[in-house]
Amino acid sequence: MIDIRNLSVTYSRMTSEGRGSSAAAVKNVSIAIRKGQFSALAGESGSGKSTVLMAIPGLLPPGTAVSGEILLDGKNLLTLPENELNRIRWRRIAIVPQGAMNSFTPVLTVGRHVEEVLSVHLGLSRKEALDRIPSLFALAGLDGELARRYPHELSGGQKQRAAIALALACSPDYLLCDEPTTALDVITQQGIIATLKNLVEEKGLGLLLISHDLPLAASVADRLHILKDGELVEEGDPGEITARPRNPHTRALVKALLDLEEES
Amino acid sequence: MTALLDIRNLTAVFPGGRRREPVRALSGLTIALEKGESLSVIGESGSGKTTLLRCILGHVSPSEGSITLFGQDTASADGAEMTALRRRCAMVSQDPYGSLPPTLTVLEAAMEPWLLVRGKHAAGEGEERARNLLAELGLRDETILSSRVRLSLSGGQRQRVAIARALILDPELLLCDEPTSMQDASTRGEIIGILAKRQQSGMSMIFVTHDLFLARKAAPRGIVLHKGLVVEEGLCRDILSAPKHPYTRALVAALPRLTSHGRPK
Repeated sequence: MIDIRNLSVTYSRMTSEGRGSSAAAVKNVSIAIRKGQFSALAGESGSGKSTVLMAIPGLLPPGTAVSGEILLDGKNLLTLPENELNRIRWRRIAIVPQGAMNSFTPVLTVGRHVEEVLSVHLGLSRKEALDRIPSLFALAGLDGELARRYPHELSGGQKQRAAIALALACSPDYLLCDEPTTALDVITQQGIIATLKNLVEEKGLGLLLISHDLPLAASVADRLHILKDGELVEEGDPGEITARPRNPHTRALVKALLDLEEES
Repeated sequence: MTALLDIRNLTAVFPGGRRREPVRALSGLTIALEKGESLSVIGESGSGKTTLLRCILGHVSPSEGSITLFGQDTASADGAEMTALRRRCAMVSQDPYGSLPPTLTVLEAAMEPWLLVRGKHAAGEGEERARNLLAELGLRDETILSSRVRLSLSGGQRQRVAIARALILDPELLLCDEPTSMQDASTRGEIIGILAKRQQSGMSMIFVTHDLFLARKAAPRGIVLHKGLVVEEGLCRDILSAPKHPYTRALVAALPRLTSHGRPK
């Protein structure tokens, strides 16, 4: 389990006048991510969703003030030295970053990206890495032949699936996905969400989906968390939250969405 | 009554190159819109919806077919006539980053179309209109109004400035290309409400979106575009409740919704 306890994150930044200022992005957030469970963190833009995600593998910018605990099987990741974190990143906790589709190096084939991850993190040879690609791509719902292609030769949906395959390269226990379907058409989105759901149900991964799309998050997650201005305002069963929102912000959000869905 | 917009058998083909096939963006599209009538255009990326808007404004020349805008055939309109036609329309582009002047302040950006058309001597009235529009769209804070677009606005706020720019000259036909894609759910409803008020006072609108729920809210009537072809048309209500074409059925089935907790297989 990844047990986030009372996480607070404050970014420090320099103003144009050269003075330092700080902004609290996440305040006292607690979330548990369990293996075999699909968790979702929903919120509007600027609510702090990505900050929570990036704090888990210790990828916030240097100088950011972080407090609380992030326990991975009881070990606090926030106090772990960098070399130990590096053994956890990708191998135990992998991320599909926001805009993953645009994060491939254009001059390398998609397969070379996977080889690099396997070589750096697991010390595999090129031959060993190549052998793993077909099954890895199949997990992400991709034809292994596509590994020979360059990123620009794939469609948006294929690139997103390749980013998922890349994150799965070292068989992580936990997968953290930041808006993995935002730039995609809804029919493509549906397929990718089904693939993620399958990874949780068949492979027992612990998954955290970050999305601004409450209907999407609620329709797929086992457990839903709603973030507003850096604070967790609601958490629980998605059906329960959308049927009986307790927080005024969630109520307004659910009402706005239902107004759109239901015929006026 | 002459139609506001009469599009017959519109086909738009982008020529290919040495290594590219020609792209048929629109095939044989026919639409008629009366004054005060609105239409939602539903389609996903690559369906041809943006090309349709660009054809109406004369930015893309049809390969076949005709477009009659305010009773005038756009193919035979000369430069000055086309400008006159365009002035009766307004467009909210898909990309609020590329379509706003970055160095103007928010207030100046909202006023700019007014000043270009009405001239500097009408600046007082322009500012008042811009302020009212921006306030209606939820941008009231004086520090935001006086700061530069480039420095201080989120994507959602930029889209609202783009809508203010489009409405400031009271267009007869508003062309909206995914105008609320960067808005949070609660703001999206407010913007659709603002556009609905304009429609009630006679403005026509073509509202392009991939979101069927939003399409139904924006206009009663809609067409579904898929790979440049109209695959379904009718009342948005009926398209959502009883889609006929296999593509529309897939689209409706894939829509995430709060009301039914349909979990993906």
